[in-house]
Amino acid sequence: MKIRGDILRTYQSIHTWTGIVTGLVLFIGFYAGSLSMFEEEISHWATPSSHQLPQIPADKFDELILKASSNFDKAQQDFTVNFTDNLSPLTWSETGGGRGLRLNHVMRHATLSEQGELVTQTNLTNELGDLIDTLHRTAGIAGKIGHEDVGVIILGIAAVLYFIALLSGIIFLLPTLVKTFFALRTNKGANRFWLDSHNLVGIISLPFHFIIAMTVVVFAFHDVFYGGLSLVYGDEPLFERGEKSKIEYTIDQLPLIASYLKKVDELTEGYTVESLAFSGLSSSRPSVGITISNHQAMMRNSTGDFIYMNPYNFEVSFSSVQMNDKDVYTPLVASFFSLHFGGYAGDLGRWLYFIMGLLGAFLFYSGNLLWLEKRRQKQAIQTKPNRFMACLTIGVCLGSILAVVTTLLSSKWFYLADVQVNNLYLACYYFTFFAALIYAFSRGASRSAIHILYALSIACLFIPLTTLLTRILPNSALWGSESFSSLVIELVALVFSAAFYYGALKTKHRAYHGEPNSIWALPVNKVSENISDKALSSA
Amino acid sequence: MARLSADEKIQPHWWLKTLAGTVLGLTLAYAIVAIFAWYGPGGINAPVKVQFNMWLITPIWLLVLSLTYLFKTGIKAITYLGAANVALYSLFFFLRWLS
Repeated sequence: MKIRGDILRTYQSIHTWTGIVTGLVLFIGFYAGSLSMFEEEISHWATPSSHQLPQIPADKFDELILKASSNFDKAQQDFTVNFTDNLSPLTWSETGGGRGLRLNHVMRHATLSEQGELVTQTNLTNELGDLIDTLHRTAGIAGKIGHEDVGVIILGIAAVLYFIALLSGIIFLLPTLVKTFFALRTNKGANRFWLDSHNLVGIISLPFHFIIAMTVVVFAFHDVFYGGLSLVYGDEPLFERGEKSKIEYTIDQLPLIASYLKKVDELTEGYTVESLAFSGLSSSRPSVGITISNHQAMMRNSTGDFIYMNPYNFEVSFSSVQMNDKDVYTPLVASFFSLHFGGYAGDLGRWLYFIMGLLGAFLFYSGNLLWLEKRRQKQAIQTKPNRFMACLTIGVCLGSILAVVTTLLSSKWFYLADVQVNNLYLACYYFTFFAALIYAFSRGASRSAIHILYALSIACLFIPLTTLLTRILPNSALWGSESFSSLVIELVALVFSAAFYYGALKTKHRAYHGEPNSIWALPVNKVSENISDKALSSA
Repeated sequence: MARLSADEKIQPHWWLKTLAGTVLGLTLAYAIVAIFAWYGPGGINAPVKVQFNMWLITPIWLLVLSLTYLFKTGIKAITYLGAANVALYSLFFFLRWLS
């Protein structure tokens, strides 16, 4: 395909500059997004199994609610009924609940003993999964403007540029696309290999990237967009306002739990109920949020769909699943969410999204490397902007991953030391991140890349080792039998440990045996290297 | 293909084109969404349609913004996008006036 030269050059510049400006924050957003596909599993993995109380048979829930609400005032307003095996049957907030990050959220768990007695305990909730999700949405940029996170706004703007970068990337790739699509030239130098793999990954995951770019812009700016739409709608209301009920309800009027399951069965097909979250039970505005899942369907989130209704009269106020044939827009809107959150194709879909997220992170990382490569000078010491960008890329990208891995690693140690875990997670992340960033700038990109990769490999290796250790330590009663998903997390940590080790070896090889006039080259150490290496590097 | 002379080629005009694409691209997206909201399937009051309308804005806006750099000059970008805006909003208000 032929495209005019000036168009190609225009879009090549656009691609370069939008890419280099947004690459770093998007890198964090993508790899953390990969992890957030397994947010619940990570929280479950991190939470000591002794925090959860044993499940009860389905017909005992009404008895449990009655006993809990007559013994605890808080349980007369809000509580959550869980049907999942590894969660407590009934929980409610004691302190520190509410919206947003809940670092000091203390929850009371309740169950019934075999004799039918109420058993409760309070625990600080584990927010590790939520923190990873926050990292995904904000790239770790703290602060708020009004009720909106600064990081979310910044990622929203980055996503606009990322959309432009995607489109410009296709435009200037078109003339050579057919010829070099599957070309992965390893024999034409590292530069060519990075370019080929950057293009290959970009093209094969293009639909995914367009979806992500578009949805992130909407997630960041939907309030603004609705504001504009209200002008379009004129006198028509944007949202139907539910009529304000004057009826005051009390908890003793609450229908049986089985009636909700029956209602969901009537409304939907093939869905199972995961949990019922009741709120405002003794007020004029009661609500129950029902989480339902069906791995055969396209779900709004990877964790399920929602129905919100009045718990006393079963009137549905909001639902993410289609309720009747006339309702054409609900599934369309739900599909946008689903395509971002990977809520389709069940667990296979989640793993695919996990991999695509990592490939996305690779796309931004390799993009930065290509930018550096393109501005390389034929001299041993590269220009100052180049060195700065290289240090920043290594410090931010590898530093952020190291910070997350270190936080995962320290999680079980925090519990063994019996300290406030959630605040320490946050402290641990930022401490490691900035330490790595400072290290990158003080030791240079090449050396710090090797060292951080080694550190990553060791930290990943210690995650399963820590788990093994908790089996031997006296406090190990904290963790009972490991569930399958937790075992998978240990396994994935091992795989990544090997991958980072391999990365470190390759980076080291590049430093001593690669192109000497490069930002990644290191002077050959005379003691440890043999003569032939010296000959190679001086040639 | 004959070689283009300097003034036949696309001029960079980054700031002007970006401004045109960002502002006029967004208003253009709103114009298209406005027509769809009132006269698309289901009309203005179809349930959940307001959310779909909100979702429509972004892809249209970003597509226009990305392609704005194809205009030869910044002034041309503003002129053409401005004209498209005027045309679509006229159509919208005409339809509103009819009904």
